[in-house]
Amino acid sequence: MSAVEVRELSVVAGGATLVRNVSLTVEPGTWCTIIGPNGAGKTTLVETLVGLRRATHGSVHVGGVDLASMNERTRARTVSLVPQHPVVPSGMTVHDYVALGRMAHHGLFRAASTSDQAIIDSVLDRLALLSMRHRDVATLSGGERQRMVVARAMAQSTMVVVLDEPISGLDLRHQMEILELLKREVIECGLTVIATLHDLTLAGQFADRLVLLDRGEVVLDGRSVDVVRSPELARSYEMNLRVVEVDGLDVVVPVRS
Amino acid sequence: MGLLGAVICGLAVGPTPIGVGRVLGDLASHVGLGHTTLSSLQSTVIWQLRAPRLVLGLVAGAMLSVAGGTYQGVFRNPLADPYLLGVAAGAGLGATFAIVDVGAGLSTPAWTPLLAFVGAMGAVALTWLVGGRGLRSNASSLILAGVAVSSLLTSLQTFLQQSSSTSIARVYIWLLGSLASSSWNSVTMVLPYVVVCTVICVLAGGALDVMSVGDDESRTLGLPVRRVRLIVIGASSLGTAAIVSAVGLIGFVGIIVPHIVRLLVGTSYRRLLQISVIFGAAFLVYADTIARTVMAPSELPLGVVTALVGAPVFVTILSLRRGDRR
Repeated sequence: MSAVEVRELSVVAGGATLVRNVSLTVEPGTWCTIIGPNGAGKTTLVETLVGLRRATHGSVHVGGVDLASMNERTRARTVSLVPQHPVVPSGMTVHDYVALGRMAHHGLFRAASTSDQAIIDSVLDRLALLSMRHRDVATLSGGERQRMVVARAMAQSTMVVVLDEPISGLDLRHQMEILELLKREVIECGLTVIATLHDLTLAGQFADRLVLLDRGEVVLDGRSVDVVRSPELARSYEMNLRVVEVDGLDVVVPVRS
Repeated sequence: MGLLGAVICGLAVGPTPIGVGRVLGDLASHVGLGHTTLSSLQSTVIWQLRAPRLVLGLVAGAMLSVAGGTYQGVFRNPLADPYLLGVAAGAGLGATFAIVDVGAGLSTPAWTPLLAFVGAMGAVALTWLVGGRGLRSNASSLILAGVAVSSLLTSLQTFLQQSSSTSIARVYIWLLGSLASSSWNSVTMVLPYVVVCTVICVLAGGALDVMSVGDDESRTLGLPVRRVRLIVIGASSLGTAAIVSAVGLIGFVGIIVPHIVRLLVGTSYRRLLQISVIFGAAFLVYADTIARTVMAPSELPLGVVTALVGAPVFVTILSLRRGDRR
Protein backbone atom coordinates (compact mmCIF):
# COMPACT_ATOMS: atom_id res chain seq x y z
CA MET A 1 0.00 0.00 0.00
CA SER A 2 1.26 3.46 -0.90
CA ALA A 3 1.93 5.95 1.87
CA VAL A 4 0.32 8.76 -0.10
CA GLU A 5 -1.83 8.56 -3.18
CA VAL A 6 -3.04 11.73 -4.86
CA ARG A 7 -5.71 11.04 -7.45
CA GLU A 8 -6.59 13.59 -10.15
CA LEU A 9 -6.41 16.43 -7.63
CA SER A 10 -7.58 19.90 -8.60
CA VAL A 11 -7.82 22.87 -6.27
CA VAL A 12 -9.69 26.00 -7.32
CA ALA A 13 -9.68 29.13 -5.14
CA GLY A 14 -10.87 32.64 -5.90
CA GLY A 15 -11.68 31.64 -9.46
CA ALA A 16 -8.11 30.47 -10.17
CA THR A 17 -7.07 26.85 -10.62
CA LEU A 18 -4.09 26.51 -8.29
CA VAL A 19 -3.55 22.76 -8.76
CA ARG A 20 -4.80 20.99 -11.88
CA ASN A 21 -5.37 17.26 -12.24
CA VAL A 22 -2.35 16.16 -10.17
CA SER A 23 -1.83 12.44 -9.61
CA LEU A 24 1.02 11.26 -7.44
CA THR A 25 1.99 8.15 -5.52
CA VAL A 26 4.60 8.12 -2.75
CA GLU A 27 5.84 4.81 -1.36
CA PRO A 28 6.45 4.29 2.37
CA GLY A 29 9.95 5.07 3.61
CA THR A 30 10.84 7.23 0.63
CA TRP A 31 11.51 10.92 0.11
CA CYS A 32 9.63 12.83 -2.56
CA THR A 33 10.47 16.47 -3.22
CA ILE A 34 8.18 18.82 -5.11
CA ILE A 35 10.02 21.46 -7.08
CA GLY A 36 8.87 24.23 -9.36
CA PRO A 37 9.01 28.00 -9.83
CA ASN A 38 7.13 30.43 -7.59
CA GLY A 39 3.40 30.20 -8.18
CA ALA A 40 3.62 26.61 -9.44
CA GLY A 41 1.16 25.40 -6.79
CA LYS A 42 3.63 23.71 -4.40
CA THR A 43 2.27 25.26 -1.21
CA THR A 44 -1.34 24.67 -2.30
CA LEU A 45 -0.51 21.01 -2.90
CA VAL A 46 1.20 20.80 0.50
CA GLU A 47 -1.80 22.38 2.24
CA THR A 48 -4.11 19.89 0.55
CA LEU A 49 -1.88 16.97 1.54
CA VAL A 50 -2.29 17.87 5.24
CA GLY A 51 -5.99 18.72 5.04
CA LEU A 52 -5.72 22.51 5.34
CA ARG A 53 -7.38 22.87 1.95
CA ARG A 54 -10.19 20.87 0.45
CA ALA A 55 -9.79 19.29 -2.96
CA THR A 56 -12.15 20.80 -5.51
CA HIS A 57 -11.86 17.58 -7.48
CA GLY A 58 -10.03 14.34 -6.84
CA SER A 59 -8.75 12.98 -3.56
CA VAL A 60 -5.76 12.47 -1.27
CA HIS A 61 -5.36 9.08 0.40
CA VAL A 62 -2.83 8.61 3.20
CA GLY A 63 -2.18 5.04 4.31
CA GLY A 64 -5.08 3.97 2.10
CA VAL A 65 -7.63 6.25 3.85
CA ASP A 66 -9.21 9.29 2.23
CA LEU A 67 -7.97 12.40 4.06
CA ALA A 68 -11.36 14.07 3.61
CA SER A 69 -13.03 11.32 5.67
CA MET A 70 -10.77 11.91 8.71
CA ASN A 71 -11.47 14.33 11.56
CA GLU A 72 -8.71 16.73 12.64
CA ARG A 73 -7.40 14.45 15.36
CA THR A 74 -7.12 11.36 13.16
CA ARG A 75 -5.51 13.42 10.42
CA ALA A 76 -2.93 14.79 12.88
CA ARG A 77 -2.00 11.19 13.77
CA THR A 78 -1.60 10.32 10.10
CA VAL A 79 0.23 13.23 8.51
CA SER A 80 2.20 16.10 10.06
CA LEU A 81 3.34 19.44 8.68
CA VAL A 82 6.45 21.56 8.98
CA PRO A 83 5.11 24.91 7.73
CA GLN A 84 7.15 27.40 5.77
CA HIS A 85 6.53 30.17 8.30
CA PRO A 86 5.81 28.52 11.63
CA VAL A 87 4.30 30.59 14.44
CA VAL A 88 6.69 30.41 17.40
CA PRO A 89 4.95 31.75 20.52
CA SER A 90 7.43 33.49 22.81
CA GLY A 91 7.32 32.44 26.43
CA MET A 92 6.80 28.77 25.57
CA THR A 93 9.63 26.34 26.30
CA VAL A 94 11.16 24.08 23.64
CA HIS A 95 9.79 21.06 25.50
CA ASP A 96 6.24 22.44 25.63
CA TYR A 97 6.37 23.38 21.96
CA VAL A 98 7.48 19.90 20.90
CA ALA A 99 4.90 18.37 23.26
CA LEU A 100 2.13 20.06 21.22
CA GLY A 101 2.82 17.30 18.70
CA ARG A 102 1.43 14.71 21.15
CA MET A 103 -1.92 16.46 21.68
CA ALA A 104 -3.63 14.44 18.96
CA HIS A 105 -2.59 11.27 20.84
CA HIS A 106 -3.38 12.08 24.48
CA GLY A 107 -6.32 14.41 23.79
CA LEU A 108 -7.15 17.90 24.94
CA PHE A 109 -8.19 17.23 28.50
CA ARG A 110 -5.45 14.81 29.52
CA ALA A 111 -1.83 15.51 30.21
CA ALA A 112 0.92 13.67 28.33
CA SER A 113 1.28 10.07 29.54
CA THR A 114 4.62 8.49 30.36
CA SER A 115 4.75 6.96 26.88
CA ASP A 116 3.99 10.38 25.34
CA GLN A 117 6.79 11.83 27.47
CA ALA A 118 9.16 9.06 26.36
CA ILE A 119 8.43 9.88 22.71
CA ILE A 120 8.99 13.61 23.34
CA ASP A 121 12.31 12.88 25.08
CA SER A 122 13.39 10.57 22.28
CA VAL A 123 12.59 13.18 19.62
CA LEU A 124 14.38 15.91 21.59
CA ASP A 125 17.38 13.62 21.85
CA ARG A 126 17.42 12.64 18.16
CA LEU A 127 17.23 16.28 17.11
CA ALA A 128 19.87 17.46 19.61
CA LEU A 129 17.38 19.59 21.56
CA LEU A 130 17.60 17.91 24.97
CA SER A 131 20.03 20.43 26.41
CA MET A 132 17.80 23.36 25.45
CA ARG A 133 14.45 21.82 26.42
CA HIS A 134 13.76 24.46 29.08
CA ARG A 135 14.73 27.44 26.92
CA ASP A 136 12.20 29.98 25.74
CA VAL A 137 11.54 29.32 22.04
CA ALA A 138 12.03 33.03 21.33
CA THR A 139 15.72 32.73 22.29
CA LEU A 140 16.60 30.07 19.70
CA SER A 141 18.66 30.69 16.57
CA GLY A 142 17.10 30.08 13.16
CA GLY A 143 18.67 26.62 12.86
CA GLU A 144 17.67 25.55 16.37
CA ARG A 145 14.15 26.82 15.81
CA GLN A 146 13.75 24.86 12.59
CA ARG A 147 15.01 21.69 14.33
CA MET A 148 12.39 22.31 17.01
CA VAL A 149 9.59 22.67 14.43
CA VAL A 150 10.72 19.42 12.79
CA ALA A 151 10.80 17.83 16.25
CA ARG A 152 7.16 18.80 16.84
CA ALA A 153 6.21 17.08 13.58
CA MET A 154 8.24 14.01 14.61
CA ALA A 155 6.47 13.95 17.98
CA GLN A 156 3.19 13.50 16.12
CA SER A 157 4.50 10.00 15.18
CA THR A 158 2.86 10.12 11.77
CA MET A 159 3.74 7.84 8.88
CA VAL A 160 4.09 10.89 6.58
CA VAL A 161 5.77 14.24 7.26
CA VAL A 162 5.13 17.09 4.83
CA LEU A 163 7.60 19.99 4.84
CA ASP A 164 7.04 23.30 3.06
CA GLU A 165 10.40 24.90 2.28
CA PRO A 166 12.04 23.54 5.45
CA ILE A 167 15.42 25.15 4.79
CA SER A 168 14.43 28.63 3.66
CA GLY A 169 16.24 31.31 5.61
CA LEU A 170 18.89 28.94 6.98
CA ASP A 171 22.62 29.10 6.31
CA LEU A 172 24.26 26.28 4.35
CA ARG A 173 25.38 24.31 7.40
CA HIS A 174 21.94 24.39 8.96
CA GLN A 175 20.29 23.55 5.64
CA MET A 176 22.39 20.40 5.43
CA GLU A 177 21.81 19.63 9.10
CA ILE A 178 18.00 19.69 8.71
CA LEU A 179 18.04 17.64 5.51
CA GLU A 180 20.52 15.09 6.92
CA LEU A 181 18.46 14.47 10.02
CA LEU A 182 15.33 14.02 7.91
CA LYS A 183 17.20 11.59 5.67
CA ARG A 184 18.27 9.64 8.75
CA GLU A 185 14.63 9.37 9.85
CA VAL A 186 13.69 8.10 6.37
CA ILE A 187 16.43 5.47 6.36
CA GLU A 188 16.38 4.39 10.01
CA CYS A 189 12.70 4.82 10.93
CA GLY A 190 10.97 4.31 7.58
CA LEU A 191 9.51 7.81 7.62
CA THR A 192 7.85 9.03 4.42
CA VAL A 193 8.88 12.60 3.55
CA ILE A 194 7.21 14.95 1.11
CA ALA A 195 8.98 18.29 0.88
CA THR A 196 9.01 21.36 -1.28
CA LEU A 197 12.42 22.88 -1.97
CA HIS A 198 13.74 25.73 -4.07
CA ASP A 199 17.35 24.52 -4.04
CA LEU A 200 17.46 22.11 -6.99
CA THR A 201 20.87 20.70 -6.06
CA LEU A 202 19.82 19.75 -2.55
CA ALA A 203 16.45 18.57 -3.86
CA GLY A 204 18.24 16.18 -6.20
CA GLN A 205 20.74 14.99 -3.61
CA PHE A 206 18.29 14.12 -0.83
CA ALA A 207 15.10 13.02 -2.56
CA ASP A 208 14.49 9.58 -4.02
CA ARG A 209 12.07 11.18 -6.39
CA LEU A 210 11.40 14.65 -7.78
CA VAL A 211 8.08 16.02 -8.99
CA LEU A 212 8.24 19.18 -11.08
CA LEU A 213 5.14 21.34 -10.84
CA ASP A 214 4.48 24.22 -13.20
CA ARG A 215 1.29 26.30 -13.30
CA GLY A 216 -0.42 23.77 -11.07
CA GLU A 217 0.34 20.75 -13.24
CA VAL A 218 2.86 17.95 -12.95
CA VAL A 219 5.42 18.45 -15.71
CA LEU A 220 7.95 15.83 -14.65
CA ASP A 221 7.81 12.98 -12.15
CA GLY A 222 10.71 10.58 -11.80
CA ARG A 223 14.02 9.61 -10.23
CA SER A 224 15.92 12.63 -8.97
CA VAL A 225 18.84 12.03 -11.31
CA ASP A 226 16.53 11.97 -14.34
CA VAL A 227 14.46 15.05 -13.42
CA VAL A 228 17.51 17.18 -12.57
CA ARG A 229 19.03 16.43 -15.99
CA SER A 230 15.83 16.94 -17.96
CA PRO A 231 15.62 19.96 -20.31
CA GLU A 232 12.05 20.45 -19.04
CA LEU A 233 13.51 21.79 -15.80
CA ALA A 234 15.11 24.81 -17.47
CA ARG A 235 11.98 25.42 -19.53
CA SER A 236 9.77 25.52 -16.42
CA TYR A 237 12.09 27.95 -14.64
CA GLU A 238 12.52 29.94 -17.90
CA MET A 239 16.29 30.19 -17.49
CA ASN A 240 19.52 28.52 -18.43
CA LEU A 241 20.51 25.71 -16.10
CA ARG A 242 23.57 23.53 -16.27
CA VAL A 243 24.15 20.31 -14.36
CA VAL A 244 27.74 19.53 -13.33
CA GLU A 245 28.90 16.47 -11.44
CA VAL A 246 30.92 16.90 -8.26
CA ASP A 247 32.11 13.74 -6.50
CA GLY A 248 29.40 11.77 -8.25
CA LEU A 249 26.62 14.18 -7.21
CA ASP A 250 24.65 16.42 -9.57
CA VAL A 251 24.94 20.15 -8.95
CA VAL A 252 22.45 22.43 -10.72
CA VAL A 253 24.03 25.73 -11.68
CA PRO A 254 22.08 28.73 -13.02
CA VAL A 255 23.83 30.42 -15.92
CA ARG A 256 23.36 34.06 -16.92
CA SER A 257 21.86 34.39 -20.35
CA MET B 1 -3.40 32.66 51.43
CA GLY B 2 -4.27 35.72 49.36
CA LEU B 3 -7.74 34.36 48.77
CA LEU B 4 -8.23 33.57 52.46
CA GLY B 5 -7.10 37.10 53.30
CA ALA B 6 -9.62 38.47 50.80
CA VAL B 7 -12.41 36.41 52.38
CA ILE B 8 -11.53 37.71 55.86
CA CYS B 9 -11.28 41.28 54.52
CA GLY B 10 -14.62 40.95 52.78
CA LEU B 11 -16.34 39.83 55.97
CA ALA B 12 -14.52 41.80 58.65
CA VAL B 13 -13.72 45.17 57.07
CA GLY B 14 -16.41 47.81 56.68
CA PRO B 15 -18.05 50.90 58.13
CA THR B 16 -19.45 48.81 61.02
CA PRO B 17 -16.29 47.69 62.87
CA ILE B 18 -16.39 43.97 63.70
CA GLY B 19 -13.13 42.32 64.79
CA VAL B 20 -11.63 39.51 62.73
CA GLY B 21 -11.64 37.21 65.76
CA ARG B 22 -15.35 37.73 66.36
CA VAL B 23 -16.13 37.13 62.68
CA LEU B 24 -14.10 33.90 62.79
CA GLY B 25 -15.87 32.96 66.05
CA ASP B 26 -19.22 33.49 64.37
CA LEU B 27 -18.09 31.40 61.39
CA ALA B 28 -17.01 28.62 63.78
CA SER B 29 -20.33 28.75 65.63
CA HIS B 30 -22.11 27.96 62.36
CA VAL B 31 -20.32 24.62 62.21
CA GLY B 32 -21.03 23.86 65.87
CA LEU B 33 -17.79 25.15 67.40
CA GLY B 34 -18.36 27.56 70.31
CA HIS B 35 -20.81 30.44 70.50
CA THR B 36 -21.04 33.64 68.52
CA THR B 37 -20.32 36.96 70.25
CA LEU B 38 -22.00 39.03 67.53
CA SER B 39 -25.20 41.00 68.10
CA SER B 40 -28.08 40.25 65.76
CA LEU B 41 -27.39 43.53 63.90
CA GLN B 42 -23.75 42.59 63.43
CA SER B 43 -24.79 39.12 62.33
CA THR B 44 -27.16 40.66 59.75
CA VAL B 45 -24.37 42.94 58.50
CA ILE B 46 -22.08 39.95 58.07
CA TRP B 47 -24.50 37.44 56.57
CA GLN B 48 -26.97 39.58 54.65
CA LEU B 49 -24.74 42.43 53.46
CA ARG B 50 -21.07 41.48 53.46
CA ALA B 51 -21.24 37.74 52.73
CA PRO B 52 -23.31 37.95 49.51
CA ARG B 53 -21.18 40.91 48.45
CA LEU B 54 -18.04 38.86 49.17
CA VAL B 55 -19.32 35.82 47.25
CA LEU B 56 -20.46 37.93 44.29
CA GLY B 57 -17.09 39.70 44.30
CA LEU B 58 -15.26 36.36 44.30
CA VAL B 59 -17.29 34.88 41.43
CA ALA B 60 -17.24 38.15 39.44
CA GLY B 61 -13.46 38.48 39.80
CA ALA B 62 -12.93 34.83 38.91
CA MET B 63 -15.22 34.93 35.88
CA LEU B 64 -14.00 38.22 34.43
CA SER B 65 -10.36 37.15 34.86
CA VAL B 66 -10.76 33.71 33.36
CA ALA B 67 -12.87 35.13 30.52
CA GLY B 68 -10.22 37.78 29.82
CA GLY B 69 -7.46 35.15 29.76
CA THR B 70 -9.55 32.96 27.50
CA TYR B 71 -10.26 35.80 25.08
CA GLN B 72 -6.55 36.68 24.99
CA GLY B 73 -5.78 33.07 24.10
CA VAL B 74 -8.51 32.47 21.57
CA PHE B 75 -7.81 35.73 19.74
CA ARG B 76 -4.04 35.57 20.30
CA ASN B 77 -4.32 39.22 21.27
CA PRO B 78 -2.90 40.61 24.52
CA LEU B 79 -5.35 43.53 24.42
CA ALA B 80 -8.41 41.29 24.38
CA ASP B 81 -10.77 41.52 27.35
CA PRO B 82 -14.16 39.94 28.13
CA TYR B 83 -15.94 42.92 26.56
CA LEU B 84 -14.23 42.51 23.17
CA LEU B 85 -17.22 41.11 21.30
CA GLY B 86 -19.75 43.65 22.52
CA VAL B 87 -20.82 42.23 25.90
CA ALA B 88 -20.29 45.58 27.63
CA ALA B 89 -22.00 47.68 24.97
CA GLY B 90 -24.94 45.28 24.74
CA ALA B 91 -25.33 45.06 28.49
CA GLY B 92 -25.02 48.84 28.75
CA LEU B 93 -27.80 49.34 26.19
CA GLY B 94 -30.03 46.78 27.92
CA ALA B 95 -29.45 48.27 31.35
CA THR B 96 -29.98 51.82 30.10
CA PHE B 97 -33.23 50.74 28.47
CA ALA B 98 -34.36 49.42 31.84
CA ILE B 99 -33.18 52.38 33.92
CA VAL B 100 -34.40 55.15 31.59
CA ASP B 101 -38.14 55.62 31.59
CA VAL B 102 -38.92 55.08 27.91
CA GLY B 103 -42.65 55.41 28.61
CA ALA B 104 -45.63 53.25 27.81
CA GLY B 105 -44.62 50.87 30.59
CA LEU B 106 -41.88 49.42 28.39
CA SER B 107 -39.18 49.54 31.02
CA THR B 108 -38.60 49.51 34.73
CA PRO B 109 -35.31 49.64 36.69
CA ALA B 110 -36.22 46.25 38.19
CA TRP B 111 -35.54 44.70 34.80
CA THR B 112 -31.94 45.97 34.72
CA PRO B 113 -30.21 42.61 35.28
CA LEU B 114 -32.47 40.79 32.85
CA LEU B 115 -32.19 43.38 30.06
CA ALA B 116 -28.43 43.74 30.63
CA PHE B 117 -28.06 39.99 30.22
CA VAL B 118 -30.26 39.92 27.11
CA GLY B 119 -28.37 42.90 25.66
CA ALA B 120 -24.99 41.30 26.33
CA MET B 121 -25.86 37.98 24.74
CA GLY B 122 -27.67 39.71 21.87
CA ALA B 123 -24.55 41.77 21.15
CA VAL B 124 -22.30 38.69 21.06
CA ALA B 125 -24.77 36.89 18.80
CA LEU B 126 -24.84 39.90 16.47
CA THR B 127 -21.02 40.04 16.44
CA TRP B 128 -20.91 36.33 15.67
CA LEU B 129 -23.33 36.75 12.77
CA VAL B 130 -21.63 39.84 11.36
CA GLY B 131 -18.12 38.44 11.85
CA GLY B 132 -18.45 35.54 9.47
CA ARG B 133 -21.48 33.53 10.43
CA GLY B 134 -20.50 31.24 13.21
CA LEU B 135 -18.23 28.33 12.49
CA ARG B 136 -16.72 29.88 9.38
CA SER B 137 -15.57 32.96 11.27
CA ASN B 138 -11.95 33.68 12.04
CA ALA B 139 -10.40 35.62 14.90
CA SER B 140 -9.73 38.85 13.01
CA SER B 141 -13.19 39.13 11.48
CA LEU B 142 -14.77 38.55 14.89
CA ILE B 143 -12.65 41.28 16.52
CA LEU B 144 -13.58 43.75 13.78
CA ALA B 145 -17.24 42.80 14.02
CA GLY B 146 -17.02 43.24 17.81
CA VAL B 147 -15.65 46.77 17.37
CA ALA B 148 -18.44 47.64 14.92
CA VAL B 149 -21.23 46.16 17.04
CA SER B 150 -19.86 47.79 20.21
CA SER B 151 -19.70 51.19 18.53
CA LEU B 152 -23.24 50.88 17.22
CA LEU B 153 -24.72 49.75 20.53
CA THR B 154 -22.74 52.32 22.53
CA SER B 155 -24.07 55.11 20.31
CA LEU B 156 -27.63 53.83 20.80
CA GLN B 157 -27.02 53.59 24.53
CA THR B 158 -25.68 57.17 24.65
CA PHE B 159 -28.67 58.43 22.67
CA LEU B 160 -31.08 56.69 25.04
CA GLN B 161 -29.20 57.92 28.10
CA GLN B 162 -29.13 61.54 26.92
CA SER B 163 -32.84 61.47 26.16
CA SER B 164 -33.66 61.24 29.86
CA SER B 165 -31.70 63.69 31.99
CA THR B 166 -33.30 62.46 35.22
CA SER B 167 -31.71 59.02 35.03
CA ILE B 168 -28.23 59.88 33.70
CA ALA B 169 -26.64 59.56 37.15
CA ARG B 170 -28.16 56.11 37.73
CA VAL B 171 -27.01 54.95 34.30
CA TYR B 172 -23.48 56.16 35.02
CA ILE B 173 -23.39 54.40 38.36
CA TRP B 174 -24.44 51.18 36.68
CA LEU B 175 -21.89 51.61 33.89
CA LEU B 176 -19.03 52.01 36.37
CA GLY B 177 -19.91 48.77 38.12
CA SER B 178 -20.56 48.11 41.77
CA LEU B 179 -21.12 45.28 44.21
CA ALA B 180 -23.22 47.52 46.48
CA SER B 181 -26.55 45.95 45.58
CA SER B 182 -25.33 42.36 46.06
CA SER B 183 -27.77 39.94 47.62
CA TRP B 184 -28.05 36.19 47.98
CA ASN B 185 -30.63 36.41 45.24
CA SER B 186 -28.12 37.87 42.78
CA VAL B 187 -25.55 35.27 43.87
CA THR B 188 -27.90 32.36 43.17
CA MET B 189 -28.86 33.99 39.88
CA VAL B 190 -25.32 34.15 38.46
CA LEU B 191 -23.63 31.24 40.22
CA PRO B 192 -24.80 28.39 37.92
CA TYR B 193 -23.66 30.29 34.81
CA VAL B 194 -20.33 31.23 36.34
CA VAL B 195 -19.52 27.73 37.62
CA VAL B 196 -20.29 26.04 34.30
CA CYS B 197 -18.57 28.72 32.19
CA THR B 198 -15.48 28.88 34.42
CA VAL B 199 -15.07 25.10 34.28
CA ILE B 200 -15.36 25.11 30.47
CA CYS B 201 -12.82 27.94 30.16
CA VAL B 202 -10.32 26.31 32.52
CA LEU B 203 -10.67 22.96 30.74
CA ALA B 204 -10.01 24.74 27.44
CA GLY B 205 -6.55 25.82 28.65
CA GLY B 206 -4.85 22.98 26.78
CA ALA B 207 -6.65 23.92 23.56
CA LEU B 208 -5.58 27.56 23.96
CA ASP B 209 -1.96 26.43 24.36
CA VAL B 210 -2.26 24.67 21.00
CA MET B 211 -3.97 27.68 19.43
CA SER B 212 -1.00 29.86 20.32
CA VAL B 213 0.64 28.56 17.10
CA GLY B 214 -2.19 29.91 14.94
CA ASP B 215 -5.30 28.43 13.38
CA ASP B 216 -3.70 26.48 10.53
CA GLU B 217 -0.94 24.88 12.58
CA SER B 218 -3.44 24.07 15.34
CA ARG B 219 -5.56 22.18 12.83
CA THR B 220 -2.55 20.16 11.66
CA LEU B 221 -1.91 19.32 15.33
CA GLY B 222 -5.41 17.86 15.61
CA LEU B 223 -7.42 20.72 17.07
CA PRO B 224 -10.93 21.41 15.70
CA VAL B 225 -10.18 25.13 15.88
CA ARG B 226 -13.53 26.61 14.89
CA ARG B 227 -15.52 24.35 17.17
CA VAL B 228 -13.21 25.09 20.10
CA ARG B 229 -13.46 28.81 19.38
CA LEU B 230 -17.26 28.65 19.34
CA ILE B 231 -17.42 26.77 22.66
CA VAL B 232 -14.81 28.91 24.41
CA ILE B 233 -16.19 32.26 23.23
CA GLY B 234 -19.69 31.08 24.07
CA ALA B 235 -18.72 30.12 27.62
CA SER B 236 -16.67 33.28 28.24
CA SER B 237 -19.41 35.53 26.90
CA LEU B 238 -22.23 33.80 28.76
CA GLY B 239 -20.37 33.93 32.07
CA THR B 240 -19.39 37.55 31.53
CA ALA B 241 -22.96 38.50 30.58
CA ALA B 242 -24.25 36.88 33.78
CA ILE B 243 -21.74 38.81 35.88
CA VAL B 244 -22.31 42.10 34.10
CA SER B 245 -26.07 41.77 34.54
CA ALA B 246 -25.55 41.54 38.30
CA VAL B 247 -22.72 43.99 38.98
CA GLY B 248 -22.51 46.31 35.96
CA LEU B 249 -19.40 47.00 33.95
CA ILE B 250 -16.33 46.41 36.08
CA GLY B 251 -13.45 47.23 33.81
CA PHE B 252 -9.77 46.35 33.87
CA VAL B 253 -10.02 43.06 35.83
CA GLY B 254 -10.42 40.93 32.71
CA ILE B 255 -7.39 42.39 31.01
CA ILE B 256 -5.04 43.04 33.92
CA VAL B 257 -5.39 39.86 36.01
CA PRO B 258 -4.41 37.40 33.23
CA HIS B 259 -1.40 39.59 32.44
CA ILE B 260 -0.27 39.70 36.06
CA VAL B 261 -0.72 35.92 36.35
CA ARG B 262 1.17 35.41 33.08
CA LEU B 263 4.09 37.38 34.48
CA LEU B 264 4.04 35.22 37.62
CA VAL B 265 3.47 31.69 36.26
CA GLY B 266 4.36 31.84 32.57
CA THR B 267 2.40 31.66 29.35
CA SER B 268 0.84 28.18 29.54
CA TYR B 269 -2.94 28.65 29.47
CA ARG B 270 -3.46 25.45 31.45
CA ARG B 271 -1.84 27.09 34.48
CA LEU B 272 -2.70 30.68 33.64
CA LEU B 273 -6.47 30.15 33.62
CA GLN B 274 -6.47 28.07 36.82
CA ILE B 275 -4.45 30.67 38.71
CA SER B 276 -6.48 33.53 37.19
CA VAL B 277 -9.62 32.12 38.81
CA ILE B 278 -8.08 32.40 42.28
CA PHE B 279 -6.11 35.58 41.67
CA GLY B 280 -9.04 37.36 40.00
CA ALA B 281 -11.43 36.39 42.81
CA ALA B 282 -9.07 37.72 45.48
CA PHE B 283 -8.17 40.82 43.45
CA LEU B 284 -11.76 41.98 43.04
CA VAL B 285 -12.61 41.44 46.71
CA TYR B 286 -9.58 43.50 47.79
CA ALA B 287 -10.53 46.20 45.27
CA ASP B 288 -14.11 46.20 46.57
CA THR B 289 -12.89 46.43 50.16
CA ILE B 290 -10.98 49.56 49.18
CA ALA B 291 -13.96 50.90 47.20
CA ARG B 292 -16.34 50.68 50.13
CA THR B 293 -14.00 51.82 52.91
CA VAL B 294 -11.72 54.67 51.77
CA MET B 295 -14.59 57.17 51.48
CA ALA B 296 -17.05 55.46 53.84
CA PRO B 297 -19.97 55.76 54.15
CA SER B 298 -20.04 56.61 50.42
CA GLU B 299 -18.39 54.26 47.92
CA LEU B 300 -15.95 54.67 45.09
CA PRO B 301 -16.93 53.10 41.76
CA LEU B 302 -15.37 49.64 41.69
CA GLY B 303 -14.10 50.07 38.12
CA VAL B 304 -12.11 53.12 39.25
CA VAL B 305 -10.48 51.15 42.07
CA THR B 306 -9.62 48.12 39.90
CA ALA B 307 -7.77 50.43 37.52
CA LEU B 308 -6.14 52.48 40.28
CA VAL B 309 -4.91 49.37 42.10
CA GLY B 310 -4.37 47.11 39.11
CA ALA B 311 -2.27 49.40 36.96
CA PRO B 312 0.52 50.04 39.54
CA VAL B 313 0.58 46.35 40.52
CA PHE B 314 0.90 45.37 36.89
CA VAL B 315 3.63 47.92 36.14
CA THR B 316 5.57 46.87 39.27
CA ILE B 317 5.50 43.18 38.36
CA LEU B 318 6.38 44.01 34.76
CA SER B 319 9.42 46.03 35.80
CA LEU B 320 10.51 43.35 38.30
CA ARG B 321 10.34 40.69 35.58
CA ARG B 322 12.30 42.88 33.19
CA GLY B 323 14.91 43.26 35.91
CA ASP B 324 15.13 39.45 36.20
CA ARG B 325 15.83 39.08 32.50
CA ARG B 326 18.71 41.55 32.48
